[in-house]
Amino acid sequence: MTKHYVMLADTTRCINCKACVVACRAEWETPLGFSRDWVKEVELEKADGTPQVMLFPGRCQHCDDAPCIESCPSGAAFKREDGMVLQDNCICSGCELCVPACPYEARWLNPETSKINKCTYCQPRIDEGLAPACVLTCVGRALIFGDKNDPESEVSRLLNDKDKKWERLTTDTVNIGPNHYYYTDGVALPDEVMPKQPEKHIANKVLENVVNPVGALGVGGMLATFIGAGLMKLMSRRNEVNTDNNQEEK
Amino acid sequence: MSTLNNFDPSRRAFLGATMTGTALSIAGLPSQALARINAPHDSEKLKKTTEVFGFCDMCYWRCGLKIRSRDGRAVKIDGNPEHPNNWGVVCAKGNSGLMVSYAPNRLKYPMKRIGKRGAGKWKRISWEEALDTVAKNLTDIKTKHGPQALALIGHGSWEKPYHRLAHAFGTPNTTSPVFGLCCGPRGLSNMIITGRNLTGNETIDLENCKYFLMMGRNITESLHNGETLGWINGVANGAKVVYFDPRYSITAAKADEYYAIRPLTDHAFLLALIHVVIKEELYDKPFIAEQTQNFDELKERVQKYTPEWAAPITEVPADVIRRIAREMAEKAPSVFVYAPRRMTRSSNDFGTGMSITILNTLFGVWGKKGGVFTPIKYQVPEIELPEYKHAYIASRIETGGDFDYSEPDIPRDHIADEHGKFHRADGAGVMGRWPLANAQYGLTNEMWRAMAEQKPYPIRALMTAGGNGFLNSTNYDIIQKALETVDFYVASDVIPNEMNMYADILLPEASYLERYDDLQVGGAREGYVAVRMPAMKPLHDTRDAWTICKQLADRMDLGQYFPHDSIKELLDDRLKKAGSSLEAIEKVGILKIPRDDKINFPREYGQPLKIKTPSGMSKIEFIPAMLKQLGSDKALDYVEQVRPGKDEFHMTFGRIGFHTHARTQDNIWTADLMRENVLWIHPEPAKKRGITEGELVVVTDTSTGRSEKIKAKVTIRIRKDTIFMIHGFGHWDKRMTTANGQGAGDSNLASYARDPHVGSMSMGLSLVTVAKA
Repeated sequence: MTKHYVMLADTTRCINCKACVVACRAEWETPLGFSRDWVKEVELEKADGTPQVMLFPGRCQHCDDAPCIESCPSGAAFKREDGMVLQDNCICSGCELCVPACPYEARWLNPETSKINKCTYCQPRIDEGLAPACVLTCVGRALIFGDKNDPESEVSRLLNDKDKKWERLTTDTVNIGPNHYYYTDGVALPDEVMPKQPEKHIANKVLENVVNPVGALGVGGMLATFIGAGLMKLMSRRNEVNTDNNQEEK
Repeated sequence: MSTLNNFDPSRRAFLGATMTGTALSIAGLPSQALARINAPHDSEKLKKTTEVFGFCDMCYWRCGLKIRSRDGRAVKIDGNPEHPNNWGVVCAKGNSGLMVSYAPNRLKYPMKRIGKRGAGKWKRISWEEALDTVAKNLTDIKTKHGPQALALIGHGSWEKPYHRLAHAFGTPNTTSPVFGLCCGPRGLSNMIITGRNLTGNETIDLENCKYFLMMGRNITESLHNGETLGWINGVANGAKVVYFDPRYSITAAKADEYYAIRPLTDHAFLLALIHVVIKEELYDKPFIAEQTQNFDELKERVQKYTPEWAAPITEVPADVIRRIAREMAEKAPSVFVYAPRRMTRSSNDFGTGMSITILNTLFGVWGKKGGVFTPIKYQVPEIELPEYKHAYIASRIETGGDFDYSEPDIPRDHIADEHGKFHRADGAGVMGRWPLANAQYGLTNEMWRAMAEQKPYPIRALMTAGGNGFLNSTNYDIIQKALETVDFYVASDVIPNEMNMYADILLPEASYLERYDDLQVGGAREGYVAVRMPAMKPLHDTRDAWTICKQLADRMDLGQYFPHDSIKELLDDRLKKAGSSLEAIEKVGILKIPRDDKINFPREYGQPLKIKTPSGMSKIEFIPAMLKQLGSDKALDYVEQVRPGKDEFHMTFGRIGFHTHARTQDNIWTADLMRENVLWIHPEPAKKRGITEGELVVVTDTSTGRSEKIKAKVTIRIRKDTIFMIHGFGHWDKRMTTANGQGAGDSNLASYARDPHVGSMSMGLSLVTVAKA
């Protein structure tokens, strides 16, 4: 059966130690000031005036209906059959259209490579049978990763545990099938971690603007600029690749 | 395989066509993109690495590591899943260890001072010149003042050879901050009452514990991987957590009950708890009858400490104190009263520590499942060395973690005895001074004072191996005076800091990823010995501690104390005596003796607890005979603590999970998580002073007038009469390019007072004012 990878975060076990953040940085050499994963510390005030703190480790939610893929004009953003939303570095033009499209703010432009960077669920490690770097290092073992389609897997066991309610970060307006689950022991998910309303991706904008020819012209121009820039980048990258390839074969 | 071999020209062409057509059919793009799901893509690849084993140097818990390397460079630090200190997990600090090795501002080669001491002007010199200079200066001082005129302060997982060198040189004055600045009072409490060591790598059966009473033990942020994971597992297994702290930490967020106890009053709460446990007969009666003594005396002494007495002092309601006692008794012996990690806070830390030990004993936790286990020890003999001629040395015992407070075999009543051997200048273990302080680790705070004041006898040379006297202590004036007073100061370290800026000679240590070190011999449920191997080629002209010390020893006719030709030979020699070899351990990183319930939990198998207290008793002593002899049994009684005046606050500080002490603020990866600390202040006093979130404020110690500037975090997570900041910030060494000038130094504001019984510091006695800067 096809695999279906999911990440589970038991927030009762998370201590905001940021081991996941640094492990990811070391594994994928992300530049300072940027990270593929994070831990949100949400400070709340209970009804009786006493403090409450909730912790939410997060990363790309590898959504079933990922708006980043739709918004990507070059096809660099794609989803594998096993659920991983990935990024093709050769194709990515760094146009950043996918960045505002993601309601979880999981995508960013790597200033060192001018490519979009994001969590891959450690796809290269998974493909070699290794755990994601964040899961491997997680001090509280709050992160659990695995194949939801395998009934024997830890994630299946946990998701099927009737005593535990695993929730996804979705709202009435943003429900795009994230593959990241959270357990809070019954405490309501705070607004601070809920997905933001994504800025509409280009396809939608175009459709809307058909009704408004002036707007359509504007968007058309914008598109032409983006696509032009993307193509230029692609061509120069292709030349580089070819050169590298030749060197490789020597 | 090159990533580019997957390059598929046909796919590219297809893509190009798609792109040009996009403007016309933009809505169709998603399906086209999805159609390419299974086409080969140029995504990231895992690069090939080799793996070696080590143990961490980012804090003092020393987790087992498995380090990935490529082309002679360490690229990723993973945990060793076999190591009982961390079971494969590694925190943010441990993951950031790479940036110690790759720090551009590391100490890269030996240097000598060319400007005024402390001015930070250096000249590169050769190792020959550096070692010759150190040997000559130390020998001159020995000739002129005697060997005791050398002090050694070490703070790191590689300090051991320096202690040996100093002992061989003839001085008893070797010290590590662990006792006087950190865990001393609680280590001593357990040792003197029960004869057992319960600090370092704690031997608590966390997974099976059913009730944690945590006295400011912020286990999620003052973080030790294996301990924290064990605790989280224990909580997941249903343990109740009751947490006391003036600040709502992450641990408070994980607790079932949280009490913002008044600062410095834990002792009062604990005494009332003991009172209830005894009065309501909630204790483990057979255990108390068979394995303890002085119970009746204890009962009498806590008679007056009723919950009603404690409530107004601690602000913990009397009925809560009673309920906690009853709840714990119900779960006993699978309960644990958790002392804070650093217990140098109030003016009676020793009494606080004793109360915790007494409570744990009343609940019968020793040698029981869910309580405290008896560790198994891997026997790895030390090498045989000649006697240390000039000083009595408390041997550094490695088993049971590195914090064994075993009674040192030292006569206690002279500065120098009839054989002319000197006692410690800091007074640790010396009758008439600080007889209770551990002579193996000493009182680092008192050693600085001895240097600054040149009392009780002259200390003319200082050697440091890691550490930062300024930011890990308090009272910068004393530290500076000490550093300026000594005739010669040699510092060994990996990274620059304010203390080693004063050195006459700077010896650059290899980072812990570039070297071998002596073995890690520990005791957990399973016994173990672990190895540290180089994971990368040395980047600079550095050497490891053992090599530096041997080369110094050879120059001072002390070569017999370093009898091996290399550190590898030393490791192999020790391991062969333990029935293994260096070659064997390098393949697995750790050798273990499996856990054994019969040894770990003797009382579950009808076996009595093996007890031998420092007073020589074979029973747990509620009121230890040795304390009575010294008059220190009065430590058990509550002492009134300072209270802030109208405009003052209690000054508190603590840890966050991704910084260690004062040593990670310049690490670019941990600094990326938190560059500067902030001042936690409650909204009410903040409003009164017109202070808003993020605003710069000035915090002033009202007794010394010292002040620090820091940004405010206005939060209900702190008491109204208390402020808090994360420890270790406020660096001023310009070589620390990331940390320099960031945040405020809590150490500049913390109190320099001492616990009257132990001599350890009472850092929490400071009262401060806060105003807009």
